[in-house]
Amino acid sequence: MEILKCDCIGKVYGSGANQVRALDKVNLSVEKGEFVAIIGASGSGKSTLLHILGSVEKPTKGKVLVDGIDISSMSRTQAAIFRRRKVGLVYQFYNLIPTLTIQKNILMPLLLDKKKVNQEYFEQIVNSLGISDKLDFLPSQLSGGQQQRAAIARALIYRPALLLADEPTGNLDQKNSKEIIDMLKLSNRNLNQTILLITHDEKIALEADRIITLEDGKIISDRRGRCV
Amino acid sequence: MCIMWKDFSAGFIKKNKASSISIVTAAFISALFLSLICSLFYNFWIYEIEQITIDEGSWQGRISGIDESDLSIIKNFSNVEKAEINNTLSTEKTIVADVWFQNIRTVYKDMPLITEKLNLDSTAASYHELLLSRYMVHNPQDNSPPLLMAFFIALLLVVSVSLILIIHNSFAVSMYARLHQFGILSSIGATPGQIFTCLLQEAAMLCILPILTGSLLGIAGSALTIKIINFFAQEIAGRHNAVFQYHPVVFMATIFVSVLTVFISACLPAKKLIKLTPLQALQGTDELHLKKKKHSCLLCRIFGIEGELAANALKAQSKALRTSHLSLTLSFLSFTIMLCFFTLADISTNYTYFERYQDAWDIMVTLKNTDISEFRQGEELRNLPNVRNSLVYQKAIAECSIPETEISDELIHLGGPEAVTDNSINTEKCSYSVKAPIIIIDDKSFEEYCRQLNIVPRLDGSIVLNRIWDSLNSNFRYKKYIPFVKNRQRTITLQNIENTELSADIPVLAYTQDPVTLREEYEDYTLVQFIPLSLWKQVSGVLGHAEPETYIRILGAEEAALSELNELQNEILQTLSPKDNISIENRIQEKISDATMKKGMILIFGALCVLLAAIGLANIFSNTLGFLRQRKREFIRYASIGMSPKSMKKMFAIEVLVIAGRPLAITAPLTIITVGFMITASYLDPMEFLKKAPFIPVLIFFLFVFALVGLAYYIGGSKLLKSDLIDILRNDTMI
Repeated sequence: MEILKCDCIGKVYGSGANQVRALDKVNLSVEKGEFVAIIGASGSGKSTLLHILGSVEKPTKGKVLVDGIDISSMSRTQAAIFRRRKVGLVYQFYNLIPTLTIQKNILMPLLLDKKKVNQEYFEQIVNSLGISDKLDFLPSQLSGGQQQRAAIARALIYRPALLLADEPTGNLDQKNSKEIIDMLKLSNRNLNQTILLITHDEKIALEADRIITLEDGKIISDRRGRCV
Repeated sequence: MCIMWKDFSAGFIKKNKASSISIVTAAFISALFLSLICSLFYNFWIYEIEQITIDEGSWQGRISGIDESDLSIIKNFSNVEKAEINNTLSTEKTIVADVWFQNIRTVYKDMPLITEKLNLDSTAASYHELLLSRYMVHNPQDNSPPLLMAFFIALLLVVSVSLILIIHNSFAVSMYARLHQFGILSSIGATPGQIFTCLLQEAAMLCILPILTGSLLGIAGSALTIKIINFFAQEIAGRHNAVFQYHPVVFMATIFVSVLTVFISACLPAKKLIKLTPLQALQGTDELHLKKKKHSCLLCRIFGIEGELAANALKAQSKALRTSHLSLTLSFLSFTIMLCFFTLADISTNYTYFERYQDAWDIMVTLKNTDISEFRQGEELRNLPNVRNSLVYQKAIAECSIPETEISDELIHLGGPEAVTDNSINTEKCSYSVKAPIIIIDDKSFEEYCRQLNIVPRLDGSIVLNRIWDSLNSNFRYKKYIPFVKNRQRTITLQNIENTELSADIPVLAYTQDPVTLREEYEDYTLVQFIPLSLWKQVSGVLGHAEPETYIRILGAEEAALSELNELQNEILQTLSPKDNISIENRIQEKISDATMKKGMILIFGALCVLLAAIGLANIFSNTLGFLRQRKREFIRYASIGMSPKSMKKMFAIEVLVIAGRPLAITAPLTIITVGFMITASYLDPMEFLKKAPFIPVLIFFLFVFALVGLAYYIGGSKLLKSDLIDILRNDTMI
């Protein structure tokens, strides 16, 4: 089942002589449950692609369908609600809300929607991510690896159609990086979670089912990873 | 250092107008407050000296018992500026000289030398201690400290420390906003001293102009305040108009205190900042964060997750918002309590004065140092057109002895005079010694009073006000009276208050519970005697002790207007051919003057409250204008997990509600407690206060604060929400 479809999307920043073409006619299709790694050099357009898929940015051209919904022409409010329900975002610097406890951070998307928490699912996630004993802490009281696990838990809490991870291991040591990738793989396998992972680390990319390489805003390769 | 200033600080000031505005406002308001206090104090001081001089003269030392030839000896003393014979105090036998000195500080040293030279006893010298104390010259033998200057210095200190507590935060917000930049500077070799100097240079550059303008406006403000006081207090008897005065030393003192206040306010955060290591500074972020978990159940329960986020954001901003909380709460609290106090005072004055004596007088004339028997124009006044009634009276005091058997049954039932009084009635053998205030009334008015009480008019006896306050069953506000004595003694023996052996037996014409309606408050546990002037002439030799003033109570036409009373007042003055010893009051004018004075005081205190609120509001504006820098990251996080703009706006609205509502939440219970205490202490009916409670002005003040906080958040919030939050997401290093 196709969960994501990018139809000839393009993104241009600036105008005239300062114009930068970040994405150029990108066509992409991702099936439900796929673990896709997007790699590329700095400035290749991979983060722009992720932001467009996460509806934090709009493409200049083309159409993006997530779970059958066209997100390319959404208003700010619609985009916010879409992000809350359909997309889980994981960043390099965790982006946890420093004034809320880890538990509240994880439950934030549900709380924003005034939805009841599925306690069983919540416990399953925090247990599998190994942060069940950190729920009452503030983000600043946790290590980087623990914060990133909390960020993944938050991304997964709404059972999103897509989990978008932007260099999630970029700020972690090797041991923690491996653990985070293992957890992403675990959620992909156990929860059939579709994951798009942005990285510049080839080794990490090889853990994915599929590796897409971007260069100058274009997809130059789309191949199977080591996991397959 | 110049390079740092030129390349770093000047640029920052230009580019960060919001935080600069906050500092400029804080410095300006501090200087304004301090200048206002210094200038007002100086003017009050000068005014008091003027008033003392008017009342008691400007002499500094006084020598009595000299002869005229001694005057030249006194004048020959090097420090003596002038010496004059005081004709009022001098008699044929004794000459009294007033002495002025060139150096007022040595009065207490020079005067004994002068008396010694004149071979006079040291008791011949006296000092104008009140005036000298105003010049901070104190009797060395007086051990009590000079309180006036100490009070002013203490007041200035309290204000300065309060201002430091309030404004240092503006500096802290601006300085900590650049923690990262200082980290960079430090890492490339800027010493803590250089950074400290740079920060203080910035503070100085930002504050010079506001301190100067604040000080000048403070002077203008004090001149205006004096004008307002003159305007509102022009009707007060015996007061002279204040003239605004200023002295360069006051200006120098103002500038010194203002600069010191601002300097300390800037030093506090700057010192803290330079203690950080370069690494701490580089890692440091100005993003809002909490040190420990916060339980904000209330807002969370009411407003959901947005409530919790708003509460946490406010908690994280608590340092930055401390100034606002403090000044807004203080201003709102002072404003509310001030208005409640004036409302209560108003109700109380109406009870004890205006309403109580509404029918007792329209115009009151006081004739100082005049005996009632010397006054001959009573008939003329009575015959003036528009005079409904005129009564001339004088007060005296005597004592009387009441046998126990004559105490009324009602009072005995309560336990006798001892049970209701405050020991003002002395118990003797089987009798009570009671004060007997005497109201001596002109004969014609006394006869009218007799007729009013349905007794045959006679001029040889007393009408006894036979009542005593039942303090056990009523409070002083709503007094209940019972008869003091049995209505059966046909004569009463009045005794001279100093020599009880001197006494006069006076026939009692009647006992009454209705006094003559005069503007008089009779002592509580006394037996007041209303007697005619004819009788007083007979007994005054024995009883004596008449007060020096004679009063004329005049009632004008029914429900006379102010203009009519003013006209009548002029006619009375013409009839009495004005002399120095006459003072005249007009009931309506007095009520108007009282109201105007209260309005004036409310205006001045209200303006101070608004000024205090202005500090808080300036701080809020500076904070919200810095939102884009301070809270962008916070909001991009919310956006990234799907918070809608509506929810963000809701968060801002909750913050506005809390910031503007907190002063109300703190003020309400404190005001209820304070007003409750005041109502209880003054035995007023709470409902009466509620009917006149200043809800509207308090509500207007609250809405004014609420609207401005809302505006500040609207401006800051709109800027933040309209900005491209994605920019930050693009730059990972910023997240």
